Amino acid sequence: MSLLFEKTKEVNRTLLPVVILVLFLCFTIVDVETDVLIRFIVGSIMLLIGLSIFLWGVDLAMNPIGEQMSQEVATSKTPSKVAILSFLLGFLITVAEPDLLILGSQVESASGGALSASIIVYMVSIGVGVLISLGVFRLLRDKPPYNAFMAITYGIIFVLAYFVSEEFLAISFDASGATTGALTTPFVLAISLGLSQVKGGKNSEENSFGLVGVMSAGPILAVMLISILSGQKNIQGDVGEYIVAEGVIGPIIKEFPGIFKESLIALLPISVLFFNFNFRKFKLPKAELSGIIKGLAYTLLGLAIFLTAVNSGFMDMGRIIGMELGKMSHWILIGVGFLLGLIVVLVEPAVHVLGEQIEEVTSGHIPLNLIRMTLSIGVGIAIALSMVRIVVPEVQLWYFLLPGFAIAILLSFKADPVFVGIAYDAGGVASGPMTATFVLAFAQGAATVIDTANVLVDGFGVIAMVAMAPVLSIIILGTAFKRKKVVYPEIKETSKVTSHLIEEVDLQHDCILVVVNRGFAEKVVEVARKSGATGATIMRGRGADEHQKVLLPVINIEMQPEKEIIMLITVVHVSASITANLLSDSQLEQDGKIAVFISPTEAMVKTLTT
Amino acid sequence: MCGYQENKEWEVIKIDILFFAVISRGKANAVLHKARECGATGGTIFLGEGTIQSKLLEKMGLTEIHKEILMISASAELSDKLHETLSASFMFAKRNKGIAFSIPFKRSQASGQAEGSLSTNVNASHYCIVTVVDKGRSKDCIKSARAAGAKGGTLIHGHGAGIPTDFYFPLVIEPQKEIVMIITPEDKVFAIRERIFSDLELGKVGNGIIFTLPVSRVSGLFENRSEDNKGANL
Repeated sequence: MSLLFEKTKEVNRTLLPVVILVLFLCFTIVDVETDVLIRFIVGSIMLLIGLSIFLWGVDLAMNPIGEQMSQEVATSKTPSKVAILSFLLGFLITVAEPDLLILGSQVESASGGALSASIIVYMVSIGVGVLISLGVFRLLRDKPPYNAFMAITYGIIFVLAYFVSEEFLAISFDASGATTGALTTPFVLAISLGLSQVKGGKNSEENSFGLVGVMSAGPILAVMLISILSGQKNIQGDVGEYIVAEGVIGPIIKEFPGIFKESLIALLPISVLFFNFNFRKFKLPKAELSGIIKGLAYTLLGLAIFLTAVNSGFMDMGRIIGMELGKMSHWILIGVGFLLGLIVVLVEPAVHVLGEQIEEVTSGHIPLNLIRMTLSIGVGIAIALSMVRIVVPEVQLWYFLLPGFAIAILLSFKADPVFVGIAYDAGGVASGPMTATFVLAFAQGAATVIDTANVLVDGFGVIAMVAMAPVLSIIILGTAFKRKKVVYPEIKETSKVTSHLIEEVDLQHDCILVVVNRGFAEKVVEVARKSGATGATIMRGRGADEHQKVLLPVINIEMQPEKEIIMLITVVHVSASITANLLSDSQLEQDGKIAVFISPTEAMVKTLTT
Repeated sequence: MCGYQENKEWEVIKIDILFFAVISRGKANAVLHKARECGATGGTIFLGEGTIQSKLLEKMGLTEIHKEILMISASAELSDKLHETLSASFMFAKRNKGIAFSIPFKRSQASGQAEGSLSTNVNASHYCIVTVVDKGRSKDCIKSARAAGAKGGTLIHGHGAGIPTDFYFPLVIEPQKEIVMIITPEDKVFAIRERIFSDLELGKVGNGIIFTLPVSRVSGLFENRSEDNKGANL
């Protein structure tokens, strides 16, 4: 239970600030009906439960499925199989996304039926499929480098952006936000992780991230192409009269079945694909399979509860706050927008998933809280700027989008490579269901009471901003990481006691533990193999010692360098030469900061007994 | 700080113990900080998973607890001091707060000089059974260890050394592995080891390896857990 408890605690920590801020507003400057207020509180509790169950389900089901599928992709023998399979993955997860269908029908009605919803849905899904396919190829070939790949992709987007109207610019980014939903993002993250694990090698850490970023470019390109090809420039129409639901429990119960069905439809294609492959190829053991099935059930249940809570409890609240604040001073609107962005993004399900993956991959080297803070500040500023755009009609969306992405792309060549992937991922991750409902409702509420604002266009723009800001802010953090400095404090050489191997008669094996800096494990294994070792197990960790201190610039946070721990079981008579060879390798000694530990062990190793 | 010359005289602090602490995830930095106050020079942290024992939770699929494992190289005296200080300040004596154990190791440096054997003067009351298996088989490993009397284990993800393969892409496949660490009193070692060995068919080449390391001191391990608290879920 304790992991579920842990997750609940974590969700609670991120949710609490949102609840406090909203309640504070309700009791001070905003006048809210009691019904809505109580529904918000009930919704928060449901959100807490739903999101915890959902995250648990993702751990249990999405990660293994992603891992299996990516292994299948990576071990293909022909390029066409890689292309088709990865295209299929991208296409299937997108085509069932409920948010995308909603967006499609919005565009359909706004364009007066000139563009049908299904065209939008299929074009966007094809876009995602193609981009995922390209992204997988890039990852497996390891070239072009990720930052160059993304620079080219966004270069094309900029060129296309010149030809489309502002409405379609906003819609295309919104389509990207809609596809990177609560379900697709964790799945694509898992695929990315799985691929890089299979591929291994030096860049495996960088390759664990970035596929979500690649994927989110797909819908942008697709929608822009639709706009250019169909000649559709302007969209009109209104969002329609908004009615605040009445009652407390009523709306929640009314919402649930529909959302449950939507979640089921969204989950179905991945599950079918996986079970199909499992039946034909993977044939996972029963215990593992039952874990995945349970996980899928949790994912479905958690997602449905979460989305119901957000739709029925949070949307009305966001709208009312937006409308009330819109009537007041514009500065208050902008300020509250900033605060909302700051804290709401942390409740996004995918942010939790991404955070966990960062911790797992870098084994705690990149502090999670630092990433979260950077993400928060980025989104906070994004929402505040969106409010500025609503208040001042002359300010256009691309004033922020273009320079934002341009700076991000430039900096991506200077930043720590791991962060480039994380940053582009964060864009897709941040624009999840919370943004699409709560924050969007807030912005639209404000836009309805301000005469000069266009509800439709300004609303769409918010998501585009949220998708851009974290990319920039995290790349800036990555640039800071690149400039981290290593300090070697003066210390006495105390721990350097020379010792030798243990003469043991009855023990045939030694266990050798080698601790080196990240990236040197391959070298260690190579040296050890030459000296007679047969195999090795490598673990990842982070280390701290007095010999070096790694500090970030400006904020001076101490970092713990990443380490690799190599475990070797060797026959006694070769362990001496292995140790000697390892320690005499000057590269390992100087750059790898090698430390070797040996203990005699009673091993039952068939492969090693002489 | 590099360059170990033979004749240089070192200030002698014997490094012959690796001190391990298994604690809840997120706590390792605090523990390391405390350990540094005691005089440890540094440590290595890696992520792992703990096990829990409850039928109900197992049915629900809730069988993981995130843990961090902290490894500190220390002298015998320092290790004792760490055991005492850390047990006191992180309450290892209470259930599920964490465990700590020391394994005698030799730290090797470039210039070799023999310095007494060690396992003769270690009277190991406990042993650490380490099993390395392919990913996904750790659950079976824990299951058969439990059947033979073990109380639980700690799971670490790792990967094997790369094997170049010829798929379309020139991949270096790094087989994912799971490392299971089980701390157990001496009298149960044999049974558990044999049980895992036969249940997981480690006798066959490539199925995995198992080895034991002597543990010189343990804090926070509960042996009679199931007896005095039957069916407890943690």
